[in-house]
Amino acid sequence: MQNNKKRIFYSENLEINFGGIYALAGINIDIFENEVIGLIGPNGSGKTTFFNVITGIYKATGGHFYFKDEDLLGKEPYEIAKKGISRTFQSSRLCLGLSLLDNILIGMYNNQTAGYFAALFNRKKLASEVDLFKERAVELLTIFNPELIDNLLDPVGDLPQIDKKRVEICRAMAGEPNIILLDEPSAGMTPDETVEMMADIRKVRSTMRDVSIIIVEHDMSVISSVSERVIAINFGKEIARGTYEEVSNHPEVREAYLGKEV
Amino acid sequence: MKRSFNLIDFTKVMVFEVAVFFLVMFFLDIESLWILIAGLALVVAMVVSTKVWERQFSSVRDFFSANRRTVIGILIVLLVLYPLVSPLVIRQNTYWLLILVQTGIYIILALGLNIQLGSTGVLNLAVAAFYGIGGYTAGLLSLRLGLPTILTLPIGGIAAALFGILLYVPLYKTKGHYMALVTLAFGLMIVLALDNTEFTGGPQGLMSIPEMKFFGYSFLTNPGGLNFYTNYYYLMLFLVLLAVVVSYRFYNSWVGLTLATIRDDEVAAKCFGVNTNIWKGISFITGNFMIGLAGAIYAHMIGFISPQNFSFSESLLIVAMVILGGMDNILGIILGTILLTILPEKMRVITEYRILIYGILLIVIPMFRPSGLLPFKPRMYHFGNKGLGKRGDYSHAK
Repeated sequence: MQNNKKRIFYSENLEINFGGIYALAGINIDIFENEVIGLIGPNGSGKTTFFNVITGIYKATGGHFYFKDEDLLGKEPYEIAKKGISRTFQSSRLCLGLSLLDNILIGMYNNQTAGYFAALFNRKKLASEVDLFKERAVELLTIFNPELIDNLLDPVGDLPQIDKKRVEICRAMAGEPNIILLDEPSAGMTPDETVEMMADIRKVRSTMRDVSIIIVEHDMSVISSVSERVIAINFGKEIARGTYEEVSNHPEVREAYLGKEV
Repeated sequence: MKRSFNLIDFTKVMVFEVAVFFLVMFFLDIESLWILIAGLALVVAMVVSTKVWERQFSSVRDFFSANRRTVIGILIVLLVLYPLVSPLVIRQNTYWLLILVQTGIYIILALGLNIQLGSTGVLNLAVAAFYGIGGYTAGLLSLRLGLPTILTLPIGGIAAALFGILLYVPLYKTKGHYMALVTLAFGLMIVLALDNTEFTGGPQGLMSIPEMKFFGYSFLTNPGGLNFYTNYYYLMLFLVLLAVVVSYRFYNSWVGLTLATIRDDEVAAKCFGVNTNIWKGISFITGNFMIGLAGAIYAHMIGFISPQNFSFSESLLIVAMVILGGMDNILGIILGTILLTILPEKMRVITEYRILIYGILLIVIPMFRPSGLLPFKPRMYHFGNKGLGKRGDYSHAK
């Protein structure tokens, strides 16, 4: 099915156990260039753990995962981020006291060339880099909500929930990664906001051609509307994969969500 | 967007600053208890009123920040003129000159700590220890080896930075409160070690450390009939300005942004490529260099240092300056430092109530200004005249 596309990420029997309990018990996931994958499963099934493992926050206890044919097992989060995997977080991890601009700019950390000594002695270089990055931040914000540009220098903590999520998505996009991991983008939103969020995710797709997105979501309307294929996991194991229809009608998936028929 | 010179604004700023300049000098001169209390009440009232009339004050603040170059320029000129004018106004001029120089040392200490605590969120409770390391290094080098001041000052800073690297090896494996605990232990260890080492003079410390000398010019000479502390005053002014410029350039750059992200959310910083351990180390070492440099100046100026100078309570005082002034806000920290060094001296008149009033102030200020006198402000990325400016600048992008 995906033969014409290049595979940029795959995991092999990825495992992690916390004191004997397997949060991931052998996950094999392939990600191809330029696709949107929905990752579903009941609470505690290991979705966020999967994100935390492939971004290096947790260290896998077994298996491997490869990105651009390089084994990233045991690498630190900052090394993995440099390779081109970026993410948002389930409970927003923005720096609430910092401005919108600052929060997006840190997403471009890997593109910075004006470091410690440039800060002290080469202000010209720094100034032109700040200008360049600022333009990019403004560009990104304009995609989602042009009104946010007026708040560019305000603390991000003052924004409503959906705009915070947008800033977080901008931050994840800013470094032009190959893979973006979205962890429950619609969490804590009203149904109307969720609809807006779905449109936003499509905007990410249309803006960044080469990016692959994995979405973890509980809201099935989001999954069905934006993802091209869906993988369902439970107890750290894959139970189904395919299109949304195939997966949502899969007996094991129904059982995981709704329980066994008596 | 280049601003054109505006004579009216310039005059406004100058009149204001000159008025404040003389008011401050009169305040330093006053010895009458009641006028002093009235002055203190005025300061407290101002702190409270900035909270109550926040909107009105913001327009005043906007005026000054729009004219920031003028404000800074006139301020520097006034500070340069101070030693020439003050003997005419202040009766105990020499004493206050010494206090001002000490305030300068504390400003460098507080700015050094601010890079660690304010910008990066690394609570260093061993500030006084690094201060001492700088002081003892400079003292020993000039006493035992006769090294010139131009070398002992930077070596004092470098020694503190090197000890900082040594401490950072165990430090980076800890987090949050435990990190503070490790630095606390280190601070106590250093004082104990100084107390018990023959080489550093034990509890008696180092005595008769040579005064500063630059290219044959001794800092004990009285320049043109002025007191010799004037030498130290100008050196301090230069070094404080340097420390402010360095702090500001860090704050207003990718470095400041990176450190602030580590402070606010370390996991997020890591996930966007920041090697947090390296950056925390860089911040720790940079701060320690400034702290050590301040120690070296202190040793040369006072000529006598002992372990008591660098005890834990000294660390707490410097931490209080940073927190009270406003974390990661350079101007706030300078104000906080001035408040905590000048006021106790000023209140010597009211001997027995001095500590009480000092304590009350320490309680009242955080009540009305919970994030310090001047709280952290979003980074504006100013470069010379060119800054990001007000939000309206972006309307074209829509």
